[in-house]
Amino acid sequence: MAQKSFRQALNEALHFEMGRDPRVIMMGEDLTGGAGANGVKDAWGGPFGVTRGLLDAFGPERIRDTPISEAAFIGAAAGAALTGLRPIAEIMFVDFAGVCLDQIMNQAAKFRYMFGGRAKTPLVIRATYGAGSRSGSQHTQALYPIFTHIPGLKVVIPSTPYDAKGLLLQAIRDDDPVIFLEHKMLYDTVGDVPDGAYTIPFGEARVARDGKDVLIIAIGRMVQVAEEAARKLASEGISAAIIDPRTTSPLDEDTLLDFTETIGRVVIVDEANPRCSVATDISALLADKCFDALKAPIKLVTAPHAPVPYAPNLEDAYIPSADAVVKAATSIVKR
Amino acid sequence: MSSIEAVTVPKWGMTMTEGKITQWMVGEGGPVTRGQEILEIETTKVTNVVEAAATGTLRRIVLNEGTTAPVGALAGVIADEAATPEEIDAFIASYADRLGSGDEGEGGASVPRTITVDGGTVNVLEAGPESDETVVLLHGFGGDLSTWLFNQSALAEKMRVVAVDLPGHGASSPIAGEDVFLKIVAAVEAAVDAVAPGKLHLVAHSFGGAVAAAIATNRPSRVGSLTLIAPIGLSRQMSRDFLVDFIAAERRRQLSSVLERLFADPSKITSDMVEGTLRFKRLEGVPEALSAIADTIADDSGQVQSIGGQLKDLPCPVTILWGDRDEIVPLPQSTEVPANARLRIIPDVGHMPQMEASSAVNDAILETFQRG
Repeated sequence: MAQKSFRQALNEALHFEMGRDPRVIMMGEDLTGGAGANGVKDAWGGPFGVTRGLLDAFGPERIRDTPISEAAFIGAAAGAALTGLRPIAEIMFVDFAGVCLDQIMNQAAKFRYMFGGRAKTPLVIRATYGAGSRSGSQHTQALYPIFTHIPGLKVVIPSTPYDAKGLLLQAIRDDDPVIFLEHKMLYDTVGDVPDGAYTIPFGEARVARDGKDVLIIAIGRMVQVAEEAARKLASEGISAAIIDPRTTSPLDEDTLLDFTETIGRVVIVDEANPRCSVATDISALLADKCFDALKAPIKLVTAPHAPVPYAPNLEDAYIPSADAVVKAATSIVKR
Repeated sequence: MSSIEAVTVPKWGMTMTEGKITQWMVGEGGPVTRGQEILEIETTKVTNVVEAAATGTLRRIVLNEGTTAPVGALAGVIADEAATPEEIDAFIASYADRLGSGDEGEGGASVPRTITVDGGTVNVLEAGPESDETVVLLHGFGGDLSTWLFNQSALAEKMRVVAVDLPGHGASSPIAGEDVFLKIVAAVEAAVDAVAPGKLHLVAHSFGGAVAAAIATNRPSRVGSLTLIAPIGLSRQMSRDFLVDFIAAERRRQLSSVLERLFADPSKITSDMVEGTLRFKRLEGVPEALSAIADTIADDSGQVQSIGGQLKDLPCPVTILWGDRDEIVPLPQSTEVPANARLRIIPDVGHMPQMEASSAVNDAILETFQRG
């Protein structure tokens, strides 16, 4: 099977679905070249190179550059979705979703509910997230807990190139608004990705690794950290299972509960700030539904409750590390 | 003269590099007989048991439970009573020298490659030394070439072995529409011609058995032997529910419960196996291809294919293996097995003897190969 990067996998999904369905359009800042490109079209393939070639393939009617006005184009995208198109709107950094939260939270997320199920909002909002790229505290947050909290939104956080393609195709075909979050540090990761089209249903976790001694639940880029930790744990004779929820809304509660019931020891790894987060939410779920199966306290390995620092050494220290996961896992396996 | 045999960390599949010793089923000093399960090893993909390659005493455990070691590492030593402790120490020391020399456990495995054929592509995985004769592994409905996880690397230590993803499975492109069975046979023949020009030894499981029988009938001069594992086409009975439920299972938990029916011991199912199966099931065109294939396997009255007539006319050796706890394709009546075929029934095994009793299957393949 062909090896492709996370970026290529997303690009393939966009190409495929725009070719298949003429209702799919894209809008966002710098998608077709943008400011500073001296008039060169598709100069960078979008801010992160994900949309390269789409302008040539589908033309400016379907690939639209927008002003730096997220409130305006996310609102336009929500309206376009409501009236029959299937827009994909790109917010360069998810940190800027704050300025268009009314369009997302009060409008797009509510249309189906407020119109008695008769309105569809097939809108995908793609955005980057995550620390590690020296982008400063306003360009690096992991804001998926905010979107997960809002009913009416589906929230997708792929961790592998294979999942990125299948989940994006599923997102574009979904009739509800989907927040699709891409970690900047994953774009160059490589994995097996089929050339053909495929979809991955929402609400189905991926079992990234089987194991018996401890269960590591990891979100987004933290799956890589968990895999590194699992390798280190294996060298110490500790067998770790890894589950990647892939979507935080809907959440595959059954898989999380099944594995917790079987293994009894859980570490949750989450790059987001710890208060009111997906990690705390999953922890509460497990404590509520399988308390009797737990052999030790649930351990959370998260970023600190602080903005992401700009100083490289502090930013590195901010991101949950494999060693921290190993320490947490060891503490509950050997207690 | 003393006999000293190594128990090593095996290579299960092309991606395995190390394994964790999870359980010794025999203590140091305990008697073992050839084929006895003596050691359980866990990898990131699968947990399985290692069988003793010799009869004697487990004289030394080199890798204790909980240890993770590379493929080919010496885990223990089986020897007869004539072997002195000094001889065993020397054997262990010599093995440490050998590990890392680059020739342990690799089995010549390579990465899969795609062969273009009429109507699509066929994915193949080649392993083992170059030779004029090639063992070709054909999986069953819903499987892929990873079905041969415990067989290909082991066989490749002795000969060239090519595992094939049938059309509509694994990384091969789907084929559907009219005459799907004939198209599959033609695609597999074309792919095999491209990678294995000499004599073929076909090893096939379940639905793959009908494909292998067709190839052997089409090219009797090229096929040196046939080893069929729970093949379809010998009787009418089978679980059509399995086919229907397999096609309908779109999520991991659902599929996992369907795959469990294949094994006498459902704990053999790994998440990796389920994820791998879902990967090809989710490709566009595959559900339609699987439905078309299922229709060529069974209808409401039972099995559609019939291979008994083809087998009885083959000039090459034919071995048929069956698990006595097979719930998918039940064991045929003795009158339904062609007279020229050797039937071996493997106890306590379901529809996947190549995974549940891999040593017995590997031995049978080699034995059939040598008769050919």
